[in-house]
Amino acid sequence: MENVITLAHGSGSIQTSELIDKIFKSNFDNPYLTADDAAVLPNDTGKTAMSTDGFIVSPYEFPGGNIGKLAVCGSVNDIACMGAKPKFMTCSYIIEEGFPVEELEKIAKSMGDTARKAGIQIVAGDTKVAGKGQVDKIFITTTAIGDIVEGVNTSGAFAKPGDKIIVTGDVGRHGCTILLARNEFNIDADITSDCAPLWSNIEAVFNETKDIHVIRDATRGGVGTVLYEIAHQSNVGISLDSDKIPVDPGVRGVCAMLGLEPLYLACEGRLVFFVPAEVADKVVDALRKCENSEKAAIIGEVTDENKGKVILNTAVGARTILSRPSGELLPRIC
Amino acid sequence: MNDIIERARDIITGYDGPKVRIMEVCGTHTHEIFRLGIRSLLPENIDLISGPGCPVCVTPVGFIDEAIYLATEKNCLITTFGDLIKVPGTEMNLAKARANGAKIRPVYSPDDAVEIARENPSEEVVFLSVGFETTTPSSCLAVKKAKDLGLKNFSILTANKSMPNAYLKLKGSADAFIYPGHVNAITGNAFCRQLKDLGVSGVVAGFTATELMTALAVTIEMLKKGEPFFVNCYPRVVKDEGSIQAQKLMDEVMELCDTQWRGLGTIEKSGMKLKSEFSDFDSRIKYNIPHIEGKPNPGCRCGEVLQGHCKPSDCPLFGKICTPLHAVGACMVSDEGACSAYYQYNSSINN
Repeated sequence: MENVITLAHGSGSIQTSELIDKIFKSNFDNPYLTADDAAVLPNDTGKTAMSTDGFIVSPYEFPGGNIGKLAVCGSVNDIACMGAKPKFMTCSYIIEEGFPVEELEKIAKSMGDTARKAGIQIVAGDTKVAGKGQVDKIFITTTAIGDIVEGVNTSGAFAKPGDKIIVTGDVGRHGCTILLARNEFNIDADITSDCAPLWSNIEAVFNETKDIHVIRDATRGGVGTVLYEIAHQSNVGISLDSDKIPVDPGVRGVCAMLGLEPLYLACEGRLVFFVPAEVADKVVDALRKCENSEKAAIIGEVTDENKGKVILNTAVGARTILSRPSGELLPRIC
Repeated sequence: MNDIIERARDIITGYDGPKVRIMEVCGTHTHEIFRLGIRSLLPENIDLISGPGCPVCVTPVGFIDEAIYLATEKNCLITTFGDLIKVPGTEMNLAKARANGAKIRPVYSPDDAVEIARENPSEEVVFLSVGFETTTPSSCLAVKKAKDLGLKNFSILTANKSMPNAYLKLKGSADAFIYPGHVNAITGNAFCRQLKDLGVSGVVAGFTATELMTALAVTIEMLKKGEPFFVNCYPRVVKDEGSIQAQKLMDEVMELCDTQWRGLGTIEKSGMKLKSEFSDFDSRIKYNIPHIEGKPNPGCRCGEVLQGHCKPSDCPLFGKICTPLHAVGACMVSDEGACSAYYQYNSSINN
């Protein structure tokens, strides 16, 4: 096999099947992934969650992951937040002519590994090769589907005054990692992406209680954007304690240098839960026992007043509104 | 809240003397004071004014016009800190000029601009050199590098500002200044002591919640005594002598000049320009830019805001036709500008 992707790899020719067999099939292997036009899947009763997400992150490899891992986590976490156990996934690759096959193999491997870890099977896919300069290296789109656990009913519109707000770990790591990986600022810091599939964390919470109002994964726009979305969707106010928000010291330092707010930097492995106060400690305890949510913390609560606003209780004991950023902080973060 | 903050808070909220006006003159301070909600703690007899501390805010309209002249009439490639792109000129801002086809490229440092010049020998690259003593040394370094490399296609359009003489001009606007920690880290504290001898009081402050609250509490305690004062409340970073290396560099490449500040008019010896040895790198000389008199929007009260004569909300344009997305005045453009900070944080909260 050649060592770079050529237009022939996307032509449906013998090179295409060779690419699919050697790179994708071997890494994604499962009984539903066949050479047919579509995957044939068993039917279940109950409710199904489905979501699709495109990934164009630049650079495609970064400390803590790559575009393949990210593409699995993104869609898996989206359906998991609706209470769905991840089941099947499809993926579509758009690859630039000349892309090294060795790199593609790395991406597919990490995609396969992450899918297995998340308990999802990649059952169908598509590969297109675009001419040099027509795409930037590699873009991946994934679609995930899963069955919603019985008794679970979450939505961004379900937050209620008195609910406690829980974040599953330190915020802003993915955004900060990508920012530094682009080498535009010449800042060296030991920061890795938080990119991770989070179904097992959500499952651990459901094993304790299904009385959960909202689950969101904080991706683009970070935890701050999620909080504003929920405040609007549920028509409630949100009160945060700034000293309870977990932030990695490295991320805090970079943000101070560049004038960024960690709450608005993207995460790829962080969930925000809105839960009734009486179950909050139980949820935090369950999360802290899981990988990728050891630092789960209650960061604030939902209020009846200040509807649609996020209020910060600051380090000096004052209350301010969490200001909203205008425009795109950082393009091509995921 | 830690013990230091709590003690400082007690001093600040417990102040019951005559009305005092304290001016912070650093955009980052302005931003942090809003972010932490410090203003909401102040009793009525402490007025905290946001002064001319954001380099973008004090850059006059005419400077933007000069940049647009270079881009459109001289076909230069303009490199600039991103903040400046939305600052209004007389006719348009740089974003609009870019949409019309002008070559405007944001950079993170003057050094990036030198690299662009090196990689694009057919382009005439101009860097818009704004900023106080914190950023001026990096502009000086860029010019020296361009000279060493023998680049003929790089120059800078200077609007660099120097703080010491600006404080004298602002003397009547405040009873004490919160001096910008990072400027003093470069310049040292000698000028603050001279200002004290001239009756101008102030403290140098850092940027954390503890440092800012401490600086404010110290200011209040010193004001109570009624004598001119200077206190360095940021000793972990600011040394009395400042950064000798940066001072030498600025001395070698630039010299003081009279310069125009948005809203404040021309202040003697408050600007920095390239020395004659480096005039090949001075865009004004290189392209023989004619005198351009910028005309700010007559309704905009940025100038009064910068001097603490009015609050952003007193301006008739504020929040109506002037918002962060559609800024009329420079103070609304930069995140560090007083109007932008007021706009972002001053929405009412029910406690």
